[in-house]
Amino acid sequence: MTQSKFNVNNEEVTSEILDGECALNGSNQAQLDAHKFARYALIGDVMRQKEQSTACIDITSSVAAALADEPVYTATDNTAVKQKDDEKVVQMSFWRRPISQVAIAASVALCTVVGVNNFMPQNAVDTHSPVLQSTPLTGSVAPVSFSSEQPALQSAEQGLRELQKQRIGALVLEHQRQSRMAHALSQNTAQADKEQQEEK
Amino acid sequence: MKWLSVVLSLFLTTQIYANETINARQLLKDMSLAVQERNFDASFVVVKGKGMEPYRWIHGQVEQTDLEILTLLNGAGLEVVRVDDVVTYFEPQTEPYSVNTDAIAGPIPEVLLRDIDSLNESYEFVLGGKERIAGRPAQLVRLVAKDENKYNYWLWVDLQSALLLKAAYVNQRSEVLEQLQLTHISVTEKPANQLLELHEREFPKPSSSKELQAQAKKQNNWQIAWLPKGFKLLKSDRHKLDLNNELADYFLYSDGLVEISVFVQRPLSGQRASGALTSGATTVYVHNAGAYDVSVVGKVPVDTAKTIAESVKRAL
Repeated sequence: MTQSKFNVNNEEVTSEILDGECALNGSNQAQLDAHKFARYALIGDVMRQKEQSTACIDITSSVAAALADEPVYTATDNTAVKQKDDEKVVQMSFWRRPISQVAIAASVALCTVVGVNNFMPQNAVDTHSPVLQSTPLTGSVAPVSFSSEQPALQSAEQGLRELQKQRIGALVLEHQRQSRMAHALSQNTAQADKEQQEEK
Repeated sequence: MKWLSVVLSLFLTTQIYANETINARQLLKDMSLAVQERNFDASFVVVKGKGMEPYRWIHGQVEQTDLEILTLLNGAGLEVVRVDDVVTYFEPQTEPYSVNTDAIAGPIPEVLLRDIDSLNESYEFVLGGKERIAGRPAQLVRLVAKDENKYNYWLWVDLQSALLLKAAYVNQRSEVLEQLQLTHISVTEKPANQLLELHEREFPKPSSSKELQAQAKKQNNWQIAWLPKGFKLLKSDRHKLDLNNELADYFLYSDGLVEISVFVQRPLSGQRASGALTSGATTVYVHNAGAYDVSVVGKVPVDTAKTIAESVKRAL
């Protein structure tokens, strides 16, 4: 009973500290549950979609700890004697071990982060619509063959292309011009709506 | 016990979440205020696929008049000048003309520099991470379209001055299609000299808002059966296109952030397949419906433009 009461109190203090409602000081430091605090902070980060909504699960420490617990085979006397035969190998392995442990831990953490990133929804796949190839914007000329009808056909096609190109140019310009009125128009409509509502 | 902690943590996180959304919104509001109030001289580039457009953007206040100049620096050029609520467009081969509005329609959507609340209906505001942009610490704010048939818009806002540093149209797979990046900005106490000259110049008179209203929504020969959520009709009429003098039935839609134009025209002769062209975030989709051609232009995905174009029918 007293145990659970104590826990509730701890949680309140922990969340209050996270909230900034009360400052961390000597009197409540003992009541701060560090693990819970970290978890609350992580929940907060995820909800706020910090770090591009990537849930960063930090397992570096646990992986490093696990690696530290691994039996170290080179530590026995026997191997030490053997290794004397080849001093270079001993030096290398001694020099490398701590770094490689960190490197493995770091790369595991990277894997999880990358994995979460790749797991983002991919349902918005474009069904690629046909692209108008008939209007090359750069104006490159297709190779001309020497058949008799070809030039006539080609010039007709070219004319049509030219027309379409011209039309698309005109449409884009017109869109640009009309868009300039959009802000004024939408403000007018909003105002008109307001006036109408007031009349009602 | 466990339940209590779960409930407690949920309550805690939802509260933080609510705070953050307010912050994203507040940051954008600060940005629009900063753009409206500060004297600055900035350069930015717009990158669309392989193309690049450099701009210069100057803003300041002279004797309580709000002045703004936006200049396209490459090619034949385009200069837009704003004096309070009158925006004048200077373009090659066209008479300069004015519009009665409080913001320049440039590469930055006007709504972001003015009233972002009108975007609530169509977009969510999400706070992203912090990054270094143009040598300054910046905060990412994502406008996430509520309808997945639209693009998202991302903005990076200067944490110190609240000015816009970078912006991008991003598709649903988080690929950047078109981006705008500030290359230089200087915020000054006094307005730039170019603005002082503006104060004395005269500009063409804009047509009044009543005239605008009268022009709008005049025809309904066509039914556009499908549009992504949030798009509202702003204008519909029949007019000749400037460049090739072709007649077109015209519809203008907007969701507050992007505009869509729908043109219905006489078909060009010959057999042509329907298809799309894209440049940056802008899509042009030409649909050959047999008796007529429907073209859709706007900053929307190709599939969206295609669906809109194919949904156009003759009104009964």
